[in-house]
Amino acid sequence: MSGSPARARRREAAARLWRAYRAHRAGLFGLGVLVLIAAAALAAPLLVEGDVRKVTGTPGGPLEPPSARFPLGTDQFGRPLLGLLLWGARISLTVGLLAAALSVAIGAAVGIVAGHYGGWFATLLMRITDWFLVMPTLVLAIVLATVMSRDVWTVIVAIGVTSWPTTARLVRAQTIAVESRPYIERAKALGGGHRHIMGRHVLPNVLPLVLAQTTLGISAAILTEATLAFLGLGDPMVISWGGMLQEAREAGAVSSGHWWYLAPPGLAIALVALAFTLCGRAIEKVLDPRLGVGR
Amino acid sequence: MTAARGYLRYTAGKLGGAAVSLLAVLVTSFFLFRIIPGDPVKALTHGTPTTAGQLASLRRQFGLDEPLWRQFTEYCAKALTGDLGISYQFRAPVGELIAEKAPATLLLTGVAVLVYSAVGLWLGARSAWRHGGLGDRINTGVALTLWSVPSFWLGLLLIITFSVGIGPVPGLFPTGGMESGDATGLGYAIDVAHHMVLPVLTLVAVGYAQTLLVMRSSLLDEMGGDYLTTARAKGLRDAVVRRRHAVPNALLPTVTMIFINLGHVAAGSILVETVFSWPGVGGLFYQALSVPDLPLVQGLFMVFAGAMILMNLLADLVYPLLDPRVRR
Amino acid sequence: MVAEVPSRSRKPSRSCAVIALAAALAGVPQHSVRAADGGGAKVLTIAVSQSVDSLSPFLAQRLVSTTVHRLAYEYLTNYDARDGHTIPGLATGWKSSASKLTWTYAIRKNSRWSDGRRTTAHDAAWTFNKMMSDEKAATANGSFIANFRKVTAPDSRTLVIELKKPQATMTALDVPIVPKHIWEKVGDFSVFNNDQRYPIVGNGPFIITDFKVDRYLRLKANKHFWRGTPKFDELLLKFYKDGDAAVAALRKGEVSFVQGLVPAQAAALKKTAHIKVNDAPGRRFLALAVNPGARAKDGRTFGTGHKALLDPAVRKALFHAVDRETIVKTLLQDHAVEGAGYIPPRYRAYFWKPGPEQKRAYNPRKAATLLDRAGYRKNSDGRRVGKNGKPLTFRLLCHATDPADTKIGKYLYDAWRELGIETRMECRDNVSDPWLKGDYDLAFDGWSVNPDPDFVLAIHTCAALPATPRDTGSTDNFICDRKFDELYARQIAEYDPVKRAEVVKRMQSRLYDLGYMNILAYPNAVEAYRTDHIGSITTMPEAAGNLWGQDGYWSWWSAEPAAGHGGPGGSDGSDGSATEVVVGIGAVVAVVAVAGLLIALRRRVTADDRE
Repeated sequence: MSGSPARARRREAAARLWRAYRAHRAGLFGLGVLVLIAAAALAAPLLVEGDVRKVTGTPGGPLEPPSARFPLGTDQFGRPLLGLLLWGARISLTVGLLAAALSVAIGAAVGIVAGHYGGWFATLLMRITDWFLVMPTLVLAIVLATVMSRDVWTVIVAIGVTSWPTTARLVRAQTIAVESRPYIERAKALGGGHRHIMGRHVLPNVLPLVLAQTTLGISAAILTEATLAFLGLGDPMVISWGGMLQEAREAGAVSSGHWWYLAPPGLAIALVALAFTLCGRAIEKVLDPRLGVGR
Repeated sequence: MTAARGYLRYTAGKLGGAAVSLLAVLVTSFFLFRIIPGDPVKALTHGTPTTAGQLASLRRQFGLDEPLWRQFTEYCAKALTGDLGISYQFRAPVGELIAEKAPATLLLTGVAVLVYSAVGLWLGARSAWRHGGLGDRINTGVALTLWSVPSFWLGLLLIITFSVGIGPVPGLFPTGGMESGDATGLGYAIDVAHHMVLPVLTLVAVGYAQTLLVMRSSLLDEMGGDYLTTARAKGLRDAVVRRRHAVPNALLPTVTMIFINLGHVAAGSILVETVFSWPGVGGLFYQALSVPDLPLVQGLFMVFAGAMILMNLLADLVYPLLDPRVRR
Repeated sequence: MVAEVPSRSRKPSRSCAVIALAAALAGVPQHSVRAADGGGAKVLTIAVSQSVDSLSPFLAQRLVSTTVHRLAYEYLTNYDARDGHTIPGLATGWKSSASKLTWTYAIRKNSRWSDGRRTTAHDAAWTFNKMMSDEKAATANGSFIANFRKVTAPDSRTLVIELKKPQATMTALDVPIVPKHIWEKVGDFSVFNNDQRYPIVGNGPFIITDFKVDRYLRLKANKHFWRGTPKFDELLLKFYKDGDAAVAALRKGEVSFVQGLVPAQAAALKKTAHIKVNDAPGRRFLALAVNPGARAKDGRTFGTGHKALLDPAVRKALFHAVDRETIVKTLLQDHAVEGAGYIPPRYRAYFWKPGPEQKRAYNPRKAATLLDRAGYRKNSDGRRVGKNGKPLTFRLLCHATDPADTKIGKYLYDAWRELGIETRMECRDNVSDPWLKGDYDLAFDGWSVNPDPDFVLAIHTCAALPATPRDTGSTDNFICDRKFDELYARQIAEYDPVKRAEVVKRMQSRLYDLGYMNILAYPNAVEAYRTDHIGSITTMPEAAGNLWGQDGYWSWWSAEPAAGHGGPGGSDGSDGSATEVVVGIGAVVAVVAVAGLLIALRRRVTADDRE
């Protein structure tokens, strides 16, 4: 078996997927928003002059309302909120992506292994999964974030290890479905080992599902990241959207009616979460047109 | 007969599973919180003049001077008899503390779940019936947008707008808490309801999307079903078909989800309780965690997880009663 | 499209109910309910954020609880509102024996418990004896009686305390005296929270009448308080977990007093009518502790404190590089006073500050020279490298929940970076674990100082170290210095206030020179109250002082209602009642509508089942 026909087949499949995806306007909108925000986040060092992280020698006075010089106003130290928002995008997106990736990786691994091997081992794995499923996710994440030191990785791990069970169940079901197909029987008969079957046959078939799960997971992860930061469980040294909200609240933005301090980070979180959700739903629909809407 | 016996066996299986889960939670909550760094005794006495003798005495009172396995066996033995221990910081039985706070949480989140389930079901059904139309797209679009909004942020904005008041908008609602202080009788009920408006609104806004989407998709599934065509062929009117056949069947998955949402109630309240200073278990958990007040966090964790297990169990048990197809 | 009709006809009723509910609830006059019930009582409402841990004076440790106890029980002595010197409380006078070991207190005749019984020396003796004999009763205030040998009441007007060693703090025994006839019935002191029967029998200016955890605590004026009846009829503590919500409540008049304001809140409130912001010198200091190498009394060392910090030059350099003025001006926005000695300037008798040549003034160039000379030179990356060839990196332990820590941490990171030293912030919810294990290099530290400074000094003596590395001592920062200890022993035995103050100042000088405790600032107490609720109120110290958490009950005891103030909002009750009924009906209708909808849905399900 040479690689090139398989590769061509996969490229063909991807093109088909993209054509189908293009038909979903909401999905395209989501994708467009994501591309824009990702570009802004990447270009943050170029767009924002000076080091916005510095709390002394800042360009503005504390808590200035929006003006021509500071389009979104300034924070409690006099740092421009627009700059902070752009910098914050980096952390929020990174944490969202990595946490969702970690969660889906765990979920996919557990799902494939449980689906492939079956027997008592699978039962045990699925019991653990079910058990994680009934654990209150936010509570677990709060506990983990409290246990570990305050940094970005803590948040990623806390989200990743608490949110995988749904993926595990879906992937397991898909794995069982794939393995009941005749060609797997054939591969087994030809002497394909466990690793071969899981890696070469099952994995490519569950990948689209995993992709959809990841996309949906990112929006959940970004929301959880913001929540943890808001509860004061984030790393206070980095700038993130949730952290900005927490600082705004701490600085008394609510009682003083400084809505411009609170509104942008929340809108940004909502926009990115919505964009990922729209993309995820579009992917789901492409993969399974009968699915309609679902989660 | 056989159907009844089948249901019994099914029930027994689910009950057993729930019991195992509860035991697992019991064990986990002990060890999970022991890994939290921090010395409760030192944290509690911080800032007040304390002698080494006082610290040792507290450690003895809390049983922290005993080896871990002894603490564990004692904890298990007590927990199995329903005794969750005595809170380090409040010096009151954990069960009592939780019982004192739980009604507030149940009231707030219970009302919210009921309202958003009702709203979600209703809008979901409407959306499915005219799926693809402008109304449907606006409906799902708004729901998805609200779903993406961080609840604590929405809460803060509501406080700014309707409690503090912006520009011409006067501050109509209280900024936090559950009551003004000294109303009684009907006045008290109104006072509490008044305090509840904004938190409930927050929970409903971010929560109804899920119900809406599930209801919409399961109704769409049902509408594709053969039996609907048959029913129509029998000459039944569309409205009747919808009300008699499609909606009830589509309700099944949604009802299951509402049960599961009810299970999330306790844990899900942490954020909104923080933002609105609501005196419920969510705030208590957060307070207990920072000490760490081990008996209290353990107890609360058991309550949170226990609620989920119980509601999942109820959903499992109710489902076959509603949908005989599941029964074997 | 005929099919649409039923659904459309159903729609208005439900959404109407929801809208009606919202509208009706919005219309509830904010305080109609309260005023109707209060019947013209003058209520002072205080917003608090901390939860009460216990109402038992034997258990309570949090500031909110001890503040309530100050109001509900008399202590032997009190502190003058003007300058904080000791004045009579339950004791009208006191004297010590020539041996310095026996103290005799004369107990006041005119103090009564709120159930009518007279307060006597037997109550005081019982309180102290209980704490001495039952370790569970010593939970909160055990440190006060640790040095007591014997406490007796020879008659109902005389209390005698015998000591093991001389103790200069005998006129600063901040222990609530409780009624013996009530408390001797209590069984287990470790679980009795004094919240079983209201009103709680006390003899302070106010009497606790009701308490709901995290909701409210109500006190009513004690008409028979010996110093005079308070002017407000009632004090209501309302709990707001979110400080900003409390401020919003103050703006709307839902509460009369808020404390713990952040700069932006204070700035905004200053511009608001009928609100006075009280920006007063605080009793706290904010410091940066340096790990001197954690050790136990048995001589063993432990922890992972950075070795470079044991070099006095490095410690000196670090703090020459920090501009405390910037911290106060920019980061704390002038709601603080620049740090100098250990005890805040508020306690004038004990305040000490370093002279010009002793002071570690802001001087980054001097800092760099000091490090160069100590052998920590910059490498090609601009980082200071130690003798072992490794660049200097210090860990800085901070309280994740304290905004001041994270703010100042960000500044220190920048300041030390310019010096060539990296800082790794380790922010935690609960810092006690690494702290007790000595696993830190630098740490944010802060204490609230009492009128008697003994305790904050004791935590830096060798006696406070843990017995072994596995124990916990009362030490703050593992400092153990012979010279400091000698001075400590002298001050505790010095009964002459002026001479004692001199020794305390020398101790502060020694602590400053050691360089392990670096006071950055004394944060102000920033509070605000409504001038249309509170006409006048006494701060402590009277000239410029705080209101919440005073060393006494002066603020709330002295507070006078503003003219025309009934309770917060102070609206009339008669108007509200009609609205209440309407709203009540609205609420009921809405609930019924929701319930009805659910029942209807369920019924359809069952109907389908039957088919």
